[in-house]
Amino acid sequence: MKRLLWLSVILALGMGLLVGCKQATPAPTEAPQPQVEEKATEAPQEQPTEAPQAKEIVLTIGFTESKTGRLNVSSGRQAKGLRLWIKHINEAGGIKLSDGTVVKFQEASYDDESSKDRVQELYTKLITEDNADFLISPYSSGLTAAAAVIAEQYEKVMITTGAASDSIYKQGYMHVFQIYTPASRYLTGAIDMLKEADPNLKKVAFVYEQAKFSTAVVEAAKAYAEEQGYEVVLFEGYPSDTTDFGPFINKIVESGAEAVLGGGHFQDGSTFARQLYEKQAPVKAVVLLVAPPEPDFAELGEAAFGIIGPSQWEPQVQYTPDAAKELGIDWYGPSNEEFIKAYEAEYNEEPSYHSAGGYAAGIILEYAIKKADSVDPQKVKEALEATDVLTFFGRIKFDTTEEAHGLQIGHEMVYIQWQKDDQGNLVKQVVWPKEGATAELIYPLPR
Amino acid sequence: MKRSLWTLFLPVLVVLAVGLYPLLTQQDVHRETSFTLLRAVALAASLNIILGFTGYVSFGHVVFYGLGGYVAFYLVAEKGWPFWSAVLMGGLAAALLAFLIGAGILRLRGAYFALVTIGVNEAMKAFIYNFQPFGGPVGLTMNFAVYKAYGGPRAVLWMTYHWLFVVTLIVVAVSYWIRVSKFGLGLLSIREDEDAAEVMGVRTSWFKTWAFTLSAFFPGLVGAIFFFRNASIEPHDAFPLHVSIESIVMVMLGGQGTVIGPILGSIGYQWMRVFLLTNRLLKNIQLAVAGGLLLLIVLFIPAGLVGWLRRRFPATRRFLL
Repeated sequence: MKRLLWLSVILALGMGLLVGCKQATPAPTEAPQPQVEEKATEAPQEQPTEAPQAKEIVLTIGFTESKTGRLNVSSGRQAKGLRLWIKHINEAGGIKLSDGTVVKFQEASYDDESSKDRVQELYTKLITEDNADFLISPYSSGLTAAAAVIAEQYEKVMITTGAASDSIYKQGYMHVFQIYTPASRYLTGAIDMLKEADPNLKKVAFVYEQAKFSTAVVEAAKAYAEEQGYEVVLFEGYPSDTTDFGPFINKIVESGAEAVLGGGHFQDGSTFARQLYEKQAPVKAVVLLVAPPEPDFAELGEAAFGIIGPSQWEPQVQYTPDAAKELGIDWYGPSNEEFIKAYEAEYNEEPSYHSAGGYAAGIILEYAIKKADSVDPQKVKEALEATDVLTFFGRIKFDTTEEAHGLQIGHEMVYIQWQKDDQGNLVKQVVWPKEGATAELIYPLPR
Repeated sequence: MKRSLWTLFLPVLVVLAVGLYPLLTQQDVHRETSFTLLRAVALAASLNIILGFTGYVSFGHVVFYGLGGYVAFYLVAEKGWPFWSAVLMGGLAAALLAFLIGAGILRLRGAYFALVTIGVNEAMKAFIYNFQPFGGPVGLTMNFAVYKAYGGPRAVLWMTYHWLFVVTLIVVAVSYWIRVSKFGLGLLSIREDEDAAEVMGVRTSWFKTWAFTLSAFFPGLVGAIFFFRNASIEPHDAFPLHVSIESIVMVMLGGQGTVIGPILGSIGYQWMRVFLLTNRLLKNIQLAVAGGLLLLIVLFIPAGLVGWLRRRFPATRRFLL
């Protein structure tokens, strides 16, 4: 009897393990049914010369989305942008290659829970089980760094969006391509803007959130400001959960700073802006990361007025085919209006720069496949390296040196400022760069 | 009742089954699934030394995981140390921290001890945020050249897997040794009644400090292995309180104070998480479902799976420890 019991326990354990291993290998989420006749993982063979047959292949785009956890809003918008691109390209009949092959796309995605814990596991599944042909990064630099190791293992091209940190691209990875302007150039444009607005401005203060992204941004901006002859009178970080900025504002006032740059994320950035207003800190310009471009920032009311923020993309930005012609590069993809209209029709919300980044990642992959005239990963990689194109999201060009392969060098940030329209309502206006500006910069702050 | 050798074989067999599966199939995807499982087993089994055997709830146990990760990452990425020595140093750094603070905070009992361990985790996180050699808030990133020296990312992912497998087996063996040794008996007596144990001649502070040190050493090793293959480390990822809480849940699910309990608990818990995460019907409410399931388990089998089996079927006590 005892032996029987013991055997049954072992048997149950064994079964449990087997089932566990099997179940732990999940199916991709809601991938649209492939309209496939043939699934290609390599370059299509050359077609016979007489009558090119229309062959359709469906490529799988693999990515993880933070459906839960702290990154879910931004990551969700990024995924929405990407899904919209997949829908558009398939509706448009796919990409037609010169040999007659029609390339369409489907997605395979999982929830990474905003955590590094499973990113490598999920990307391995995407590549080996879902046979992803091309990868899009998760949202945020930390998760992308973990995914990049897997992409590199399988030599899969991964287009990163929502991953601004420079360090990932300076580690020798050869298959990772960045769409966003890197952190090191997030605030440098703001320094140029201030220089043009007021050549007499000399003293600047950096007050920033002690987090990976914001610290990387301000360190690069500080170096640039000093290079430009500015005196950095204050350089101080605050913990992420800071709610009382009084001591920092006092230090800003004491230091005699004329402009304040910094911030970090939405919560702390908006609190900082509000308290700067309440204390009537006598500064001429305030530039904060992340918070100002969010539409919710307007809820601060008067405190939002005049605040400047960098953004990867804004609905008002105007990149046009004519601008591309002037630069002597290709124009590709929909116009800004077309993208915004389609996005609003699909999701019933205004797109943020995360949404635009997701869509742009797809557009760049599409452009590279077209240029390569092939779906062979190596040829697409070479096409990406040669890419220099203007899209609704801005200019995209990648660093091809070994030291910083894949780093974005073409895209520029835009800077928005909260201003008032004729009725006195707060509206976002693009104030820099000048060629894309929709309004004049309000300077100095009316305080 | 005579203890069967199965009390050792069963836990080892379970870990071997999970660990060998990818080695047999040579499938990367199985390797990744087993990596997550083994990592959970190693963390839960080492936490069990202080939580299950000694009865001290260490809520901030992830501090050792993060510290080990940071020390090893720094040594490999910045100082060019060989991987094995850096991993060992990661474990030793975690053990040293536990030894130093253990002498002080293990005087506290119950909720006070639990609160202090959370404080230690937060303090370490704040320290790392301001410690420039470890990159401050930006953290550290691994240069690809380091991976190339080990044969490229594929080789690194397999190598780290082998390491974790071995570490997990050692954790299980150490767990078993503690459970059946005189040292373990001392710990169990502390768990049951610390004052009585002291009166009976158990050097409680010495026992507790060593239990705490041992239970910190292995998370240090696991953190070192995990962050090396992750290619980057930053304070936010290195000290996540939820990993601590999950470890406690895994220990409780399987049965605290047993050798095989935390192993089954962590495999069951992780399996459930992956299943819910990728199940088409449940994936959007996976956290709510996981919470509900845990609530039911805690309500109906508070002693955990192994505790319940041992009580319900006394015959199982011979081979379930």
